[in-house]
Amino acid sequence: MDKPEKLMVDGKRLDGRAPEELRPLKIVAGILERADGSAYVEMGNNKVFAAVYGPREMHPRHDAKPDMAVLRCRYSMAPFSVDDRKRPGPDRRSMEISKVTREALAPVLFPELYPRSVVDVFIEILQADAGTRTAGINAASVALADAGIPMKDLVASVAVGKVEGTIVLDLTKVEDQYGTTDMPMAIIPRKKVITLLQMDGHLTGEEFSRAIDLAFQGCQKIYEAQRQALKEKYEVRRED
Amino acid sequence: MMHVQNRQLVVPGDLIAEGQYRLRDGVFREGNMIYSSVVGLTELREREVRVIPLQGKYMPLRDDVVVGVVVDAYISGWTLDLNSPYTGKLFVSSLLGRKVDLNREDISKYLSMGDVVLVRVEDVDEELNVMLGAGEPGLGRINEGKLMDISPMKVPRVLGKKGSMLNVLEGTTGCRLTVGQNGRVVISGKDQRMVNAAVEALLMIEREAHTSGLTDRVRLMLEKTKIGGS
Amino acid sequence: MAEIVAKVKRDYIVSLAQQDKRTDGRALDQIRQASIKKGLIQTANGSARVKLGKTHVLVGVKLGKGEPFPDTPNSGILMVNSELLPMASPTFESGPPREESVELSRVVDRGIRESETIALDKLAIKSGEEVWTVFIDMDVLDHDGNLIDAAALAAMAALLNVKPPEDEAWTLPEFPIVQRPVAVTVAKINGKLLVDPDLEEEQVMDARLTLITKEDGSLCAMQKGGIGYFTQEEVAQAYSLAKEKAVELRKLLG
Repeated sequence: MDKPEKLMVDGKRLDGRAPEELRPLKIVAGILERADGSAYVEMGNNKVFAAVYGPREMHPRHDAKPDMAVLRCRYSMAPFSVDDRKRPGPDRRSMEISKVTREALAPVLFPELYPRSVVDVFIEILQADAGTRTAGINAASVALADAGIPMKDLVASVAVGKVEGTIVLDLTKVEDQYGTTDMPMAIIPRKKVITLLQMDGHLTGEEFSRAIDLAFQGCQKIYEAQRQALKEKYEVRRED
Repeated sequence: MMHVQNRQLVVPGDLIAEGQYRLRDGVFREGNMIYSSVVGLTELREREVRVIPLQGKYMPLRDDVVVGVVVDAYISGWTLDLNSPYTGKLFVSSLLGRKVDLNREDISKYLSMGDVVLVRVEDVDEELNVMLGAGEPGLGRINEGKLMDISPMKVPRVLGKKGSMLNVLEGTTGCRLTVGQNGRVVISGKDQRMVNAAVEALLMIEREAHTSGLTDRVRLMLEKTKIGGS
Repeated sequence: MAEIVAKVKRDYIVSLAQQDKRTDGRALDQIRQASIKKGLIQTANGSARVKLGKTHVLVGVKLGKGEPFPDTPNSGILMVNSELLPMASPTFESGPPREESVELSRVVDRGIRESETIALDKLAIKSGEEVWTVFIDMDVLDHDGNLIDAAALAAMAALLNVKPPEDEAWTLPEFPIVQRPVAVTVAKINGKLLVDPDLEEEQVMDARLTLITKEDGSLCAMQKGGIGYFTQEEVAQAYSLAKEKAVELRKLLG
């Protein structure tokens, strides 16, 4: 896609959003049959599935920890998820995202409850439109809770960026490509602490501070949607 | 001080109570505050709080009677799959309730791979190493029946208060149900149709465990099937 | 990191941190003894070795020719790679790149790329057909913690050391470096922030935050690592610290 002439017009972004507005969000808990827990998330045009298996026996045995559970995450993009077909298989970007995703989720688990076992989280991006790692984390949190794995809280995630000098929330592909900055963040909403934080681009000290504030706000809204999705799965059946 | 109602649906991170309560499963404490760690229904008593998880794996507990499946064999015993992240070990002496001379006997005649065994959890250590036993009457290899897995969280509902649901299931279908705490159920009966009806009933209980009036609906559904409709 | 830290050691480091102390006597905001040596490898266009305490990283920069990416026909290409050599630590084995190596490469890459350190748009040979490719290869020879800061510094020093190739396709007077970003990593141990964690501190820490700043103090890249978390105040504090320490390290680049 060619660079649009302007990314912001009259204070509104190309898709009509205000700088602090999230993209349309949809979360469904328990969408898959075989997995112990699962979730489907749409953030703007992102379409993401997350599945959790575990706690289960760890193989190879020698990688297991005698007194706690191991968390494994695999982030993967489907070949048809992006405009230029992506070759199947893990690439360096997916490996890095898998690592930071695991590090974003680990702080809310109770690993001592399940010695010698593993909790596997699988994230598959079916359609990508910037912020896939944040959508993946949002889905994975719901999938973990759906699997009945004890958690201290859910983890909510969103990316903030800078477009033509304005700090904006929840970037689209165009904004990510042609804007100056991309900063994905994830938090434990109840404790207001940060478990994922990356950035590339350009931010002054002041912009950095504003960006974190905005990210916190966005994450809180996503958190409400995650909680709602989990309740909805069980509430429907209570209406007998 | 309680922050929620009894039998309220909560999710991880929800504030349940504040103060000195005894904590059971599904909750954790941070300072003076008590939060839910799972998606579940609150169960609040005067002095204790709990969130009953709606989902989860079976964690072996001492004295539980469970249905295991033999997945490995060695000289002195077998490893059983317990529908859990943790397997259990059954020594041949624990199966037979007597000492065995391993030089004389070949234990493979007692159990082989894939056998279904009703066992009791004798001991669980901090690393979740599980020791099983089957030396008492009623336990041991199960030779026939249909094996199915349900969520271990739903076992109390399958049994019902004072066995009320189990009575309905066995009474109406004429089948015998062996229900393991680990969510494994063996259904045995002469009438295949009624065995299938029992399976349907168990699936129904699993889906609707957290609703009320379930026992009556299950009885109704089974009686319809017995008569010949559905 | 498969090494298990003895609980006694962990408790010792944590209790020292509570008293604002560290096992090697450093202050919480003090970087280890650092040294840079450039130009050791003649077969590379540019090279540098950094010692940060006992951590030892060697970087070689090679220039090659290649096809540009279709959407940037006039832009040179930057590729950053790292090897955690088995000699560097008992826990490194030969084999496909581990996630630590991938993360290291990508974070250092972002620091250089996002700050536009290399004027890539000056590296076209024939528009749309041939451009210069800058290969930055980082070899970790000894791992005593904080590989990111050491590798990023060595990469920057190696870039500054690049002599243009003897090739008629090279038309610039010198290798176009226009910025000098510096990475500073801050570790969190029991609520205390420590700059430039050594290996033991890394094994014990809750989490780390790497901040890469340009000469004017603005941020061009950042990466949180580890399974702990940071509060907003801690992030702001870490940024402050990183800006300050970057100035110190930048002086060593010469």
